[in-house]
Amino acid sequence: MRTILALVALLAAGNASAAAYGSAGCGLGSMAFGSQPGGIQILAATTNGTSWNQTFGITSGTSNCGKTAFALQGTKVFIEGNKDALAKDAARGSGETIVALRNIASCQAPAEQVGSALQQNFGKLFPKADAPLEQVRDNVIHLLQSDKTLACTLG
Amino acid sequence: MLAFAIALAVTAATPAATPTDPYLVQLVARARAGRLGEDRWWLRLGHWHRGLLGGWEAEPDGPDFYLSPRGKTDPQAELEATLAGFFAPEEKDPKVQHPQCRFPARLVFAVKRLGLDPSRLPRRECPRLAEWWERTRAQAVTLVFSSYYMNNPASAFGHTFLRLDRRIFAGPGEKLELIDLGVDYAATPDTSNALLYAFKGLAGLFRGDFSAKPYFYKVREYADFESRDLWEYELDLPPEAVAMLVAHVWELGSTWFHYFYLTENCSYEVLAALEAADPSLDLLDHVGKITIPADTVKALFRNPGLVKAVHYRPSARTVLERRVEGLRPGELEAVLALGDDPRAPLPAGLDDPGRARVLDAALDLVDVRAGKAIIRGDAAALARRQALLERRSAVALASPPLEVPPPPGGGPEHGHGSARAGLGGGASRQGGPFALLDWRLALHDLADPPAGFSPATQLEFLKTRVRWESRGAGGKLRLDEALLVSASSMTPLDRLDPRISFRVRAGAERVRDGGCSACVAGTFLAGGGGTVAAGPVALQVTGDLALQYAPDLQGLRGSGFRAGVGPTAVLRILGGGRAALLATAAWRWQPEARPDVTWDLSAVARLHLGSGSLFAEARRTPRADELLGGLYLFY
Repeated sequence: MRTILALVALLAAGNASAAAYGSAGCGLGSMAFGSQPGGIQILAATTNGTSWNQTFGITSGTSNCGKTAFALQGTKVFIEGNKDALAKDAARGSGETIVALRNIASCQAPAEQVGSALQQNFGKLFPKADAPLEQVRDNVIHLLQSDKTLACTLG
Repeated sequence: MLAFAIALAVTAATPAATPTDPYLVQLVARARAGRLGEDRWWLRLGHWHRGLLGGWEAEPDGPDFYLSPRGKTDPQAELEATLAGFFAPEEKDPKVQHPQCRFPARLVFAVKRLGLDPSRLPRRECPRLAEWWERTRAQAVTLVFSSYYMNNPASAFGHTFLRLDRRIFAGPGEKLELIDLGVDYAATPDTSNALLYAFKGLAGLFRGDFSAKPYFYKVREYADFESRDLWEYELDLPPEAVAMLVAHVWELGSTWFHYFYLTENCSYEVLAALEAADPSLDLLDHVGKITIPADTVKALFRNPGLVKAVHYRPSARTVLERRVEGLRPGELEAVLALGDDPRAPLPAGLDDPGRARVLDAALDLVDVRAGKAIIRGDAAALARRQALLERRSAVALASPPLEVPPPPGGGPEHGHGSARAGLGGGASRQGGPFALLDWRLALHDLADPPAGFSPATQLEFLKTRVRWESRGAGGKLRLDEALLVSASSMTPLDRLDPRISFRVRAGAERVRDGGCSACVAGTFLAGGGGTVAAGPVALQVTGDLALQYAPDLQGLRGSGFRAGVGPTAVLRILGGGRAALLATAAWRWQPEARPDVTWDLSAVARLHLGSGSLFAEARRTPRADELLGGLYLFY
């Protein structure tokens, strides 16, 4: 028991000190993507670009997140990293990225309902072929926040 | 897990340590008495191995991995420096982490093997380590094998990496793997020059680093972008070993290695990290000097019970094939039309599920055909995809989950051994009877047992065949071929995503057309073409260019160089997983060389028996007719 408490104490301490960083710049994605479109990042990963590897270096300590920021930040990171796959699943109203998105955004509604909402709003979420990554990301976040029937928990 | 927590969560306030802290002195004495510097677990944590001269040498090359200046070659000195480091005063530079924070796995080792009482260490805060710990939240570990990828020589043998699983379930049996953390060891190439790349990769001149990215990046990169199937091996590790792995990966993340493409490569370091996390595992002993990713998967299975489950994650290409299989008669035409024009009409009278089915397949088709263009932001490809997406979203119906069964031959663990040795004999009209020896370092040819491999791909590395002819005084030893590489793809030209077939061969081969009297010529051959397939039968036709050199060759303008162009046809018939027949016919025109026309006819039959194959071959060329047979053993 003592050891479990010790572990919890350790993790709590980590969060407390990390909170000082604030929510801006926390998480993996905001640092990983910058202003570049997400697809290029996957390309960079494919070609083993140096900046990519450094960004995800194990000691880089990119996840400077407090607990409350995690859902929103994690959702943003996820949407950015999965934009193309998410667009396809949204158009289909189902798929693995929707199940994951629902979980990261802590939505109470079942995945079927989240998928249906994304499908119905597809034109608003993904308005153009060349819609900027940030716009798509914010559109999806906005839907998850504003559609109360989905009951997502995003700060 | 618990040991990790004990070691890290140092609760009691302790007196400031000095270099002569009596407890430290006592620990060092205990370590010396117990010869812990040569403890197998400690050696694994520092990645020390016996060097050529018998001394110890550690693989990590970043100096930060060692606390002792002699650490790279002296495990005992490093152990003592590590123990002293745990007692060290707080670091003055906030960027530098305290040894307690840098080496959590070593700390656990000291607790477990040396009986170090963490409450007697000075308490140091490790916020960055705590962040890493929080970021992983690992409950389990999965080793992922990303299948062979012929488009990139560095990935032709496959790739492996680790996934730290959070085991979050969205529903019964529905694991959320996308947000798990992938841990990858990869080289950072600094050249795009193919020759330099090969040289530097083989010579260990690239730097290799561990990095961690969410698994979804890996899925997007490998399964979607490169269309490689992923095989996921869920490991049955005790919680302590999972925690040790997280802690040890943290240690490795702060250093770097020279990346050796053939030996100390991604798959090697992944196994080494697992061995360090769980000293009871034996993995690298089951892998040869050359670390082939598929062999590292097999090594997992040599530890009984280690692999708890195998999951298959299909690539974009495999998903498309499965979708096309689910179409009804006539729908494929509509899918192909949509692939060219996203506004093409759908078949009349199609109900909503049918419309969804056709549009879903068309979307996957566009992604497979133009995936790279879409990623690069090609406007036309993006517009086509967007139009299809909008059209699909207008059908207010959720697509049912697509079940994609794994290939019948299974994953790489079911593949034959990477190396192959052959023994046989035969007779030729010109040289009489002979015995032959055949050896190949890796990996697979088009007639080898297909289980666990891509049936459309040949990749051979270091293939050699010699024969001993008894005719003449004392007989003579002859080299038939010594190939550096021999690769071929037989991807059928289907209507979904027509891909060319190719062949490449480089090395030395005996000239059998009278261009010289029994000489061996350096050969480079490259060709491209197409393959048609129906069931077990496939026919590949390529146009080839061959360049050859030998001093005795009667080549261009009297030189030893000759160039040949012409077609090659390869017919293959697979008899399930048991037998294969491969017939090859090649013809080449060799301008200004003698002879100016050459040809080669051959047939190869194989019968697969467990870990061996019987082979029989017949071959006819302008100056040689021969028949031979024997036995191959895979190991």
